[in-house]
Amino acid sequence: MPKCVQTLTTVARTLPSNAYTTLHANKTLAVHSTPQDLTYAQRNMLDSALRVDQAGEIAANYIYKGQLAVLRHDKKVGHLIQEMWDQEKKHLAVMDKLQVQHNVRPTVLSEVAKVAGFSLGAVTAFMGKEAAMACTEAVETVIGEHYDDQMKELDSFQTSHPSVPLLKSVIREFRDDELDHLDIAVVNFSQRAPAHALLSSVVGGGCKVAIELCKRF
Amino acid sequence: MSTASSTRLLKLALPLVRTHGFTREALSRSVLALPAGEVHTEPLSDTAVSALFGNGDTARRTLIDAWMKDGLRHMALVPGVERHAQSSISLDSATATAKKASIRDVLRARLEYNEPVLPHLPEAFALLASPRSGIPPLDPTQAIKHTARVADEACYITGDKSLQLDWYTKRISLAAIYAASELHQLTSPHTAYAFLDSLLETSSTLKSTLSEVGLYSDYVFKSWKGIIKSSGILL
Repeated sequence: MPKCVQTLTTVARTLPSNAYTTLHANKTLAVHSTPQDLTYAQRNMLDSALRVDQAGEIAANYIYKGQLAVLRHDKKVGHLIQEMWDQEKKHLAVMDKLQVQHNVRPTVLSEVAKVAGFSLGAVTAFMGKEAAMACTEAVETVIGEHYDDQMKELDSFQTSHPSVPLLKSVIREFRDDELDHLDIAVVNFSQRAPAHALLSSVVGGGCKVAIELCKRF
Repeated sequence: MSTASSTRLLKLALPLVRTHGFTREALSRSVLALPAGEVHTEPLSDTAVSALFGNGDTARRTLIDAWMKDGLRHMALVPGVERHAQSSISLDSATATAKKASIRDVLRARLEYNEPVLPHLPEAFALLASPRSGIPPLDPTQAIKHTARVADEACYITGDKSLQLDWYTKRISLAAIYAASELHQLTSPHTAYAFLDSLLETSSTLKSTLSEVGLYSDYVFKSWKGIIKSSGILL
């Protein structure tokens, strides 16, 4: 049942990330090589951006995994969380390919991200459905803004390499997916969570700290 | 302008390392190899070398750095590599070659690149290991960076797909293997390749043993879980 919903939501459009997820498109320059004409600062920016994105997708996967461990049998939000998790799994698979393509060092904190993500998901799910949705709302708000900032930074790149426009469109697609998750959370009463403002600011603040840490390490 | 000309001269100085070593003289004589019309009749003056490449040993460090970067490019020239890190031509040449280049092939190519300048390498490594300020007495960071770059390049051009912590373990083990082989090469150039092969062999045996141990532990854990569940201790 949840898989049917997922199929309906992802196959209907032609997505930029299909370049990485379909088998036939795998041998073009845009998905196989990295630009060599970037300045030192631009290369660093690309490295830290992809490192953070990959770490963020790992954490997001584990947040949903943690939430689902508690709310698996909940008829109302169980399948929604599964659906969002399936989308995050695809995001992570694409980010893994981007990391290899652009030869980016992954974060050393990946195991920390897994434990922290799972704990955050499970703890908020224990607090109730609304708190779980409030956690999703807070996380996706920060991630959506973060992807938005990255697109602005990528606009400054002066390169003719085809991987950069593709990367921008993939980030745009992921940002939209994350904002869809945010909408789902709000529609499912995230703002009725106990101490919503406090919970949002703690989770959102934690995400921002994690982003800064993963950029560097 | 100065950066462009120094990069060009550095390129011309690289073949001179075989005869002149990693010296300021190799840099000063690079202008003699310029194409007709631009060629100089005299080597560059010491002041010009300092202005272009840095004072004293800094110029030599610049030359060593350029030589090492060229070594990375040399690795990517092995037939059958998955990616060419330093250029955008990648797919046609890689797919045209039936046999894919392995990590062993590219590391061997890097050791081969050392061969013509082998007598000058100990001095070059000694210079890299001597700190600019005098404290601490030995600075291993440049040597670590050098082997890490070689390992990273080897992984990248052979299309390694390691993720997360595997990315680090793969590169650290390859850097250690390459460092040991390079040190071996300095004292015994002819046996270095066999030494590299044996280290890579040991490393892959160790890896498969570890994964088998992991798999076995997983089975043991799952069996105990099943036994405990069926005995009714938990629920």
